[in-house]
Amino acid sequence: MNKKFTVLFALLLVASMVLVACQPEVVTKEVEVPVEVVKEVEIPVEVEVEVPVASKTLVFSSRLFSPPQEQEFFITEIIKPFEDEHGVTVNFQIIDDQTLLDRADIQQSTDHVTTDIVVAHNSRMAEWIDAGWVEDLTDHVESWDDRHFSEAFVQNTNKDDKQYFLPVGADVYLLLANNKALPYLPEGVDLDSITWEEYADWAVAVAEGEGEGKVCITGIPSKSWVYMFGGTALSFGAGFPDANSAGAMDAWKVWETIGKGNGFVPTVLNVDSCVDPMMREESWLTVFHNARAGQVFASNETEFTLAPAPTGPTGTGSIAGVSGYAIMKDSANYDLAVSFLEYLTRPEIQVKLAKGTGGFIPPVQEAIDYLGDEAIDEVINKAVLVLENGVVSGVPGGDYEDWGAVKACFDDVFADTILTGADVTQDRLDEAQTCIDDLLK
Amino acid sequence: MKSKTNKKVIKAAKETVFYLFLTTLIAGMLLPVYFIISLSFLSTREAYQYPLPLVPAIKTDMELGYGERGYLLSVWDRIDKEYQTVLDTADLEKMEYYIKSQLGTKITEEELLIETSRLENSDEESIFFTKPRALLNNYDTFFTVTRDAVPALIRSLQIAGLTILISLSIGGLAGYAFARYIFRGKDTLRFSVLFVRMFPGVAIALPMVFILAEANLYDEPLGLSLIYSVGAIGLTIWITASIFMGIPVSLEEAAQVFGASKFQAFMKVTLPLALPGLAASAMYIFLGAWNETVAAIILTQFKPTFSVVVYQTLLGASGQVNLAAAGGISMAIPAIFFTFFLRKYINRMWGGVKV
Amino acid sequence: MATTKPKSLRKIWGQATPYLLILPVVIYYAIFWVRPVIAVIIGSFTDASGIFTLQNFVMVFNDESFFPALYNTAIIVIVSVTIEFIGALFLALLINRKFWGSSIFLFLMLIPMALPAVATGAMWMTGLTAHGWINSLLYYLGFLAEGEKIYWLGGLQQNQLKLLALVIILDAWQVIPSMMIILLAGLQNLSEEAKEAGYVFGGNFITVLRKITIPILQPTIQTAVILRLISAIQIWLIIVLLLGFGRLPVLVERIVYYHEEVPGLDISYQMAAGYTIIVSVIVSLTALLYLRVSGAFKKEETV
Repeated sequence: MNKKFTVLFALLLVASMVLVACQPEVVTKEVEVPVEVVKEVEIPVEVEVEVPVASKTLVFSSRLFSPPQEQEFFITEIIKPFEDEHGVTVNFQIIDDQTLLDRADIQQSTDHVTTDIVVAHNSRMAEWIDAGWVEDLTDHVESWDDRHFSEAFVQNTNKDDKQYFLPVGADVYLLLANNKALPYLPEGVDLDSITWEEYADWAVAVAEGEGEGKVCITGIPSKSWVYMFGGTALSFGAGFPDANSAGAMDAWKVWETIGKGNGFVPTVLNVDSCVDPMMREESWLTVFHNARAGQVFASNETEFTLAPAPTGPTGTGSIAGVSGYAIMKDSANYDLAVSFLEYLTRPEIQVKLAKGTGGFIPPVQEAIDYLGDEAIDEVINKAVLVLENGVVSGVPGGDYEDWGAVKACFDDVFADTILTGADVTQDRLDEAQTCIDDLLK
Repeated sequence: MKSKTNKKVIKAAKETVFYLFLTTLIAGMLLPVYFIISLSFLSTREAYQYPLPLVPAIKTDMELGYGERGYLLSVWDRIDKEYQTVLDTADLEKMEYYIKSQLGTKITEEELLIETSRLENSDEESIFFTKPRALLNNYDTFFTVTRDAVPALIRSLQIAGLTILISLSIGGLAGYAFARYIFRGKDTLRFSVLFVRMFPGVAIALPMVFILAEANLYDEPLGLSLIYSVGAIGLTIWITASIFMGIPVSLEEAAQVFGASKFQAFMKVTLPLALPGLAASAMYIFLGAWNETVAAIILTQFKPTFSVVVYQTLLGASGQVNLAAAGGISMAIPAIFFTFFLRKYINRMWGGVKV
Repeated sequence: MATTKPKSLRKIWGQATPYLLILPVVIYYAIFWVRPVIAVIIGSFTDASGIFTLQNFVMVFNDESFFPALYNTAIIVIVSVTIEFIGALFLALLINRKFWGSSIFLFLMLIPMALPAVATGAMWMTGLTAHGWINSLLYYLGFLAEGEKIYWLGGLQQNQLKLLALVIILDAWQVIPSMMIILLAGLQNLSEEAKEAGYVFGGNFITVLRKITIPILQPTIQTAVILRLISAIQIWLIIVLLLGFGRLPVLVERIVYYHEEVPGLDISYQMAAGYTIIVSVIVSLTALLYLRVSGAFKKEETV
């Protein structure tokens, strides 16, 4: 045994020496190059990373469709037919927005562009466009006359009248309730047109009846609280992201009522996504992202009720998000990528995709015509209702230095007023607004 | 005579207490592990129940009746001891999918058709039927979604092996130097190699990746090994140095007296004695390389590591904690195997080496 | 033949040997590590436009999270390194008794360290939530009445000390095995004769441990503790996993925060670089202090 290891160690030594010896070019390169100019150095040998000619591989990296069942659907139902038709392989990968940007950074700055298509969230699109890492698709979009993308997201997908991203998988906020909460619903309230005040009263009634709060919001900093609050604020006529306008104040008061009535789940500070607490029945009430609401709803349709988000004086407010397809600059498979995007954005494919993946809204005007009346269509229908009739705002991520920091301004107000049972004061909100405005570019 | 049996009894009692204590210790340490394993076998519905079932069910009892939209499906709840409604649909394909994805039970549309016609033909309001649970359902889903899991797994093993190779050889040499030689600047150097671990790795992960990309090691397993070795070498130096220090120089000298060269003395005497230290370092290095994702995601495209494909599958697995558990366990198994093989070198029985 | 070489040359060669053995490491670091580190160091001393400044460090010290982060980190380091060391030493000594089944026992004890973050994450998240497996277990065992729950991660009001204690326990669970294997490896070279001699001369378990085992194990202990000390100061992942950013700030969590959560701010890079340098200074000073106190440098300080 020991002999074997001795030999092994000797081998290790030799092998490592070889390894070290194999890297001489690297060594000299490092020595010669001064620190600042390194990125400009041309390394001639590196183009050959690409795919073998025989069958083309299209690399598709996406932040969207990350839940495993959505991945499964996208691979088998959407990608597969395209692969068969074109005799190519689509390499589908799920990557979060930040890593996607990091990866693009390294690929672009070292000229190893191996990713062809990226799917980014609308709050991050500006970063892609500003860095010049995505191709201008305006001409292609104009040549497809069977589809018109929803106008709602132009501010994110386009810049200077040029379209870089093609929208996919839009979302708004829906109300999801565990049926156990229904007996507490105030008399005469219709769930499909419930107001924010009624929602707050309902939440407080549940808390009183159960001895424990049951409203879920994402209490972990930098998650979706800003969107949850934003929807309320829009219902009261505020803009987004407004923290201190009159409408916003009314919105804060709604949440203050819930806070003072101990309406939040006690573990609210540890909620990262409301999916888990809703499924565990730790929480019974929430207003959140329609695809995630659809996911919980699908886990037990007879136990949950879905409705549009509550309304206010100006209507049903909701933040709308969307993702977008874009082609990476210098993609080696540009033409193939264009035809894949053409395929993906066809109205019927968009609808198939929306249904198969839990209830995203297909952001193509023509797509709405393809909806039926199954349970999943109910989710999409209610979401479309909010998107069409509601007061909807996108996420103006590009206007701010850092959207995460904007979120933090809202998180802080929540943590030090509503959560502690304190009053939301105009002074505190003015402070929050300063916090937000300071981040404007 | 009597005292002898007494002694035996006392010894047996002592041993019993000792092993009882060990068992308690293990049970305490591994309780969380039990739950994550158990969770990986639960159906989604059970995984989100409270109180959580302690063991996975092996069968699913279902009730089929009439609902508002079509057929009403109910499921036996082991905790509440009653049938609970879960689905109201006329679409049997949807029901099949529901039973698979939420109840972790396989049933074909034909079988469902048989059950529905049984319901239609009976006078009862509902009928009951039982199906065995597909216990490996989560693993099944996990490996369906995780494309190219096997090549990625092999690649990860290669990377970990290569990292061990690089770090043990380069680090081991230096470790030996620090343990056996007295030279100017020794303490400073020894401290400096540790500084690599002191400098927060998160701050330089990205720039390090850039260096590799420039050196044409983008999407190459070797590239990742080189990155992982940076942290591993410092660790190896310290562990091996401390182990070499514990081995008396006199042993090596004794061998040299009997005619061995310094190199032979090292190979025949010191190295075998240092095996536990090398094994301990190897374990650290393996686990570090095996579980790393940050650099691997950015640096790989067509050749992802296993940790990367697991990350991609589980990134959005909220609401499917049982699947996340299955993924986590799948990732842990090779590492646990490695631990299993290495353990005997760490806890070496004495008597193997005689000088 | 050795004698044919000039003596001085041999001597030089002999003196050079340790440097040659260390040379590969130096080259390796020079290639992969030095450049990014220098870039961060330069970054920490320059402002956004590249002009020399100390403002970054002023900003870090004025950051309202800095002192809480420092304080939390200090508590975690002091408490966790202590209990982890004691736990690891205890287990290592236990396993080193080579009782029947010790090898399997060792293997089982190593399992926690082999689990990837995705497994431990799922494990603690499903355990510590109000409707999680820990409360379920307590309920089955009769410690919790129906409807009664323990909020492990804190309820509406969060007690920082309680959260710190929780983090330390969860961390120890995974770290003790990894510390133990180093100590156990070191124990393999402790000859039984030395210990027996101790017992023969009337020592009991404690005195043998104190007078014989620990002194011989000294280099290994130093290694185990120093490696742990270094990584304990840099703890962050488990905290972010359980509580998100900012709820229980610690030093390295701040670096990650500026890198990943708010990367777009004008000051993000400067803050991250500033924190990085401060962390590495704190770690080195602590490590140096420990090594001085524990005598790692003392006995061989020569030439």
